Amino acid sequence: MRAVRASVVFVTLLLAVSACAGGGRPVDLAKVTSVNRPTPVGAEENPPASSGATAPTPNCDPKASFRPEPSLPAAGQMPDRSTMKAIQDRGQLIAGVDQNTFLFGFRNPTTNALEGFDIDIVREIAKAIFGDPNKVQFKVVTSAGRIKALQNGDVDVVVRTMTATCERWKDINFSAIYYMAGQRLLVDRASKVTTLDQLGGQKVCAAKGSTSIKTIAANPAKLIPVQVDNWSDCLIMLQQGQVEAVSTDDTILAGMVAQDPNVKMTGPRFTEEPYGIGIPKANVDMVKFVNGVLAKVIAEDTWARSYDKWLGQTGEPRPEPPAPVYQD
Amino acid sequence: MVTTTPVGEGPTAPGARRVLSLPATAVRSVRKSAASTPGRLFLIGVSLVLLAVLTGAFGAIAMQQKQNTIDNLLSHREPVAAASQQIYRSLSDADATAASAFLSGGTMPTELRERYDLDIATAGANLAKASADVSGVPDAEEQVNVLSQQLPIYTGLVETARAYNRQGFPAGAAYLREASGLMRAELLPAAQRLYEIDFDRLSAEQDAASSVPWFSLALVLVLLGALLAAQRYLTRRTNRLLNVGLVVATGAVVVALIWGTVALLIESSRVSAGHDHGSEQVEVIVQARIVALKMRANETLTLVARGDGGDYEDEFRKLAEEISGNGDRNLLNQARGLAEDPETQNLIDAAQKNADDWLAAHKRVRELDDGGSYQEAVSLAISTAAKTSAATMFSQLDDNLMKALRNGRQHFAEETSAASNVMTGLAPGVAVLALVAAAGVTMGIRDRLQEYR
Repeated sequence: MRAVRASVVFVTLLLAVSACAGGGRPVDLAKVTSVNRPTPVGAEENPPASSGATAPTPNCDPKASFRPEPSLPAAGQMPDRSTMKAIQDRGQLIAGVDQNTFLFGFRNPTTNALEGFDIDIVREIAKAIFGDPNKVQFKVVTSAGRIKALQNGDVDVVVRTMTATCERWKDINFSAIYYMAGQRLLVDRASKVTTLDQLGGQKVCAAKGSTSIKTIAANPAKLIPVQVDNWSDCLIMLQQGQVEAVSTDDTILAGMVAQDPNVKMTGPRFTEEPYGIGIPKANVDMVKFVNGVLAKVIAEDTWARSYDKWLGQTGEPRPEPPAPVYQD
Repeated sequence: MVTTTPVGEGPTAPGARRVLSLPATAVRSVRKSAASTPGRLFLIGVSLVLLAVLTGAFGAIAMQQKQNTIDNLLSHREPVAAASQQIYRSLSDADATAASAFLSGGTMPTELRERYDLDIATAGANLAKASADVSGVPDAEEQVNVLSQQLPIYTGLVETARAYNRQGFPAGAAYLREASGLMRAELLPAAQRLYEIDFDRLSAEQDAASSVPWFSLALVLVLLGALLAAQRYLTRRTNRLLNVGLVVATGAVVVALIWGTVALLIESSRVSAGHDHGSEQVEVIVQARIVALKMRANETLTLVARGDGGDYEDEFRKLAEEISGNGDRNLLNQARGLAEDPETQNLIDAAQKNADDWLAAHKRVRELDDGGSYQEAVSLAISTAAKTSAATMFSQLDDNLMKALRNGRQHFAEETSAASNVMTGLAPGVAVLALVAAAGVTMGIRDRLQEYR
């Protein structure tokens, strides 16, 4: 009898303990509160200031190049021991270009060929050396890799929306100016922003190693510069809502507007960006030769035809080609 | 009745007090009965029966667990590890295919489009399989989360890229680069980690399946010893040589011991064979396949970058050492060493030849591209029609590795099911034999006790 009562007590205790344990709550669903959106490879927010500004840059006229010889040598007959002769013997011109900037240097996804205003200029140089505009090996270089490619001798020329500046003149030579661009602002169509100053504390995109990224970082309104490897990365960051605006040369921005009608260029030009062809420092003969080619291209209206073909799409009236300035 | 609880120490119910004093009462009564021979006999009988039942229960549970472990290897661990390697393979191939399609220009060729779609669908299906089994493994859960959250984003980017490509805009290339970056930075590392976790779990479970059940073995030996000691005691006390009940009990325990030992020895050697010539072999082949896939992605991305792809080419060369050359680092050599059957050996020999041919084709691709013949380089790299193109060589390599991998899985399945078959009936058998032993003890001791009445 005792044993029975004892076990009843024991079982009751056990039940009481186990009843307290379970609260009866549904199991949590997999909770996701945010998703990591990818950004273009190499995108960098608030990059450290470039170390290029260590030595003071001498004042100069970045637009002034070397005066060409009175006449161009005939195609296929480059003067002995000249840089052009070496290129002619090699069989092709090696040009550093872009494949991501619509209208200037881009890869046509349909044909796989590189096309654009810059590419046309490269072909004109090849035509002047070989008599054949197709004897070109294109090498894609990033904005940040342009000067290095020239210094290493990886390429003969860089034709890649490259602004001639006194700082860059220290490392490489520039041809005469073949296009005059200026920095502007690209924003969403609905945005009311018209100047950089209105974007204080917000993200603005430009390519690594470009003059534009320096202008953005130097703006007193304390913008957050976002630098990317290629210009089209800026467009897709704007489309994905990862930056508020893109600011660079109007030519590059025009190519973005042509790809996406939901973005617009806004505000005035606020810098002057003279485009020159980059050539290794040692090859002064090549600079003079290229300047001769440029003068011919402008005189024969090839420049205007190329402008209409590419930049005519933007609807802006065609400007006069820039007048060459020479150092002497 | 003596209460151990001091008076006034809390409101303990009288019933509970009695419960608490039960052990003391039991010990006292045991001590009292041990003083007489029949009492001692009774105690011996009860202890032996208890020990036999306990041993039987533990042994049967241990054998059942072992059987479950082996069945789990077959039905769960190995398929999940295979699924997660398939995720890696599909994702990596999708990325390389998207890049090839981009390089081919124009609208995407149907063949590449289908291959990409199939890759994504395969990755999704295998992800569902792999994720069914990650609860309780936080690291694996994290990888599955990354994969299931980022895969839709990846495909979204690729489709956006496609739409822009069709319009002829370079923004398509930018979206494709972003997608590929996501794949290489997030998805592929997660898939690789998930595979590593699943493979480690497989190996750990294989170790568990081939381990010796020391506790059950010790119990059986103690039971056997106790039975023998009891018989010796009885022989001395009663001058009778044999006690039939106890002899039967001892026989049952010996049968259980021999059966269990033999079965476990065979089982463990089969599981180990499944590991060495099955899953271990598969693991090496999977590693080789991952290396080849990474190289292929680097090969196409170098061409997409068009002169700005030095990093990709460097990575390609570094990885090439792992599937070519004579060193120990060559995973194909390792796989060849592990291969047992001639079919797998032939497959791996073929794969080694494919790898060498591919590297030669790659060298030509680089020469063409560096020499300025970009279009020729592209077509040599991606054309599936040309017999000597890098694309053809790579897909033959991948094919042969996949076949060798299937062979490895087959080996694993055969050996492991053989291990499972050996275990058939062992768990219930051990339980029944333990009951026989308990019954024998009861009968044997009862006979002796009756002599004291």
